[in-house]
Amino acid sequence: MSEPTEYENVILLKQTNQLKCLYTIIRDQETRRGDFVFYSDRIIRLLVEEGLNQLPIESSVIQTPIGSSYDGHKFQGKICGVSIIRAGESMEQGLRDCCRSVRLGKILIQRDEETALPKLFYVKLPTDIQQRYVFLLDPLLATGGSASMAVDVLLETGVKEERIMFLNVLASPEGIKVFQDKYPKIKVITGMIDEGLNDKKFVVPGLGDFGDRYYCI
Amino acid sequence: MSNSSSASVNASASTDLEATRYIPPWSSPYIIGVAGFSGSGKTTVAQKIIEEINEPWTVLVSMDNFYKPLTKAQSELAFQDSLKAGKKTEIPVYSFSLHDRTEEKITIYGANVVILEGIYSLFDQSLLDMMDAKIYVDTDLDICYTRRLMRDIAERGRDLGGIIRQWDSYVKPNSVRFVKPTMSNADVIIPRGSDNKVAIDMIIKHLKKQLKLKSIEHLHHLKKLGRVIKPIDFSKVDVLKETNQLLGIKSIMLNSATSNDEFIFYFNRIASLLINQSLELVEYGPSINKIVSPTGHILKDAIQQKQEVVAVNIIRSGDCFVYSLRKTIPEVVIGKLLIQSDSQTGEPQLHTERLPSFSNNCKVLLFDAQIISGAAVIMAIKVILDNGVEEKNLVLVTYLATEVAVRRVLNAFPEVHLVIGNMSSIEGIEGKDMDGDWWMSNRFIDSRYFGTD
Repeated sequence: MSEPTEYENVILLKQTNQLKCLYTIIRDQETRRGDFVFYSDRIIRLLVEEGLNQLPIESSVIQTPIGSSYDGHKFQGKICGVSIIRAGESMEQGLRDCCRSVRLGKILIQRDEETALPKLFYVKLPTDIQQRYVFLLDPLLATGGSASMAVDVLLETGVKEERIMFLNVLASPEGIKVFQDKYPKIKVITGMIDEGLNDKKFVVPGLGDFGDRYYCI
Repeated sequence: MSNSSSASVNASASTDLEATRYIPPWSSPYIIGVAGFSGSGKTTVAQKIIEEINEPWTVLVSMDNFYKPLTKAQSELAFQDSLKAGKKTEIPVYSFSLHDRTEEKITIYGANVVILEGIYSLFDQSLLDMMDAKIYVDTDLDICYTRRLMRDIAERGRDLGGIIRQWDSYVKPNSVRFVKPTMSNADVIIPRGSDNKVAIDMIIKHLKKQLKLKSIEHLHHLKKLGRVIKPIDFSKVDVLKETNQLLGIKSIMLNSATSNDEFIFYFNRIASLLINQSLELVEYGPSINKIVSPTGHILKDAIQQKQEVVAVNIIRSGDCFVYSLRKTIPEVVIGKLLIQSDSQTGEPQLHTERLPSFSNNCKVLLFDAQIISGAAVIMAIKVILDNGVEEKNLVLVTYLATEVAVRRVLNAFPEVHLVIGNMSSIEGIEGKDMDGDWWMSNRFIDSRYFGTD
């Protein structure tokens, strides 16, 4: 379930009390890793389901167990996931929970110590990614710097812009604007849009460093 | 309102109001009293009746359990207020070796047939008033005496002298003075006791006929619940939005070429969506504590869950939800109910009730993968409500439901909430009970999920 936003291609999960409750838990600095992982995973699952709903289906006649035929549907198009290392990898399991043998690509982007700009270190993608719908995974959309770089990598490889779905747990209004200006055809699927960025370019109120809270510290 | 169970099938609109209340079969159990001297063969007769009528949820209450310590007031309390009203009743177990009641108790819940067997079971007027059939087993006192001698020595471990003393000074005079006259309260007298095969067979035939009438009334009543012309209150029914994924998954569920592995996988996905949807109905409210994020910001819109969630599965199709349920709420308490439809009549029958104690104001999610006639879930809801859950706190979660079943549930329990994956459209023929789509009228999810198809 989603609700409309000011952008056509930004899909926001429906802001229900249950969802707000899940976010309260993962935002709380007192929440320990076990709960952080569990409740983040629940949100990620909802994002994945919403992302999958953007995929097309086609009519298909199927045979039922009692021998009659039924005018049904079948899924169309192949998908793959691409996670931005490290935090994005936390969303891979959520995708696999819905698509068991899904192919997963990885991209490592880090800040260059000298220039302070994001720099591409590592790319590994499924070979036929051009024919696939791509679920780009990164839990936080802050300035959109590294995600933009990841998208550029995908576009250069030949992935169609309208076939990219960018899934994130939490987004800043600034990051969403950057993305919509640069890649209007990409569908951004997010669970919550925060107040904004602070002077350190962190999302606030935010939930801290997602990768750190999911993997260590 | 009290005569609703006897309302005829083609009742006019004015009596439809009566049909909007579900009357479970156990709200008026068929009560049979069996009396006779000690050693007359009462228990044997009672056991033969139970064997022959073969009704689930038949309860044999030995009145010997109330031999001494229960007062008249207590017995009225136990029977009239609880058992006859179909509530949970605890019956103490009498120990013959200890000559007293033990700490042990038998729990009786919603009995369909109750047999009260005991020396004085046709004595108390308040008990007689409740009984639908009264049987007196008339066996010669001498035969009773020999039977008693043998039984007391072999099974109950008493010594010969004690038995003889007890017989002469207590059992025999009391039998003649108090038990024998209760024969006039009986509807049927069985001479020669349990050896009288003809008499017992005749009684059983009569009982079977009575029980069949009762079952037909129950079924008519269930059907009527679905026919009441009243639009479905959609504020109480959430049907999942028909997304591309749900359409695709539905085809996978209905396809004969789907492997078991795929079937289970995709059903689990639907189950997760349904559970998520049902958890929206739980009460949430502002967090009590101040919540601070790692960036040091105090959350303005901190929300916490205010209500405990308890699950109840109808065995077996409700169990298809367990995997997803445990993934969503790992520590959730799960109660179970086994309700099966009689293969001939289709009447739902409650076989097992394993429910947790429900805390005050908890939300109960009742799971069943498919709802066709609604008979089983209506019975399940009644059982849960009888256990102290408020109607508004009950959420029925199901993947496939027929519209007629939804109407039945809501007519019987207007405050219950339903979360449904897919609801069949109605055929539009008034009085037709089953909807058109075959998957709505065939129970297939549990057998495919558990691989017994």
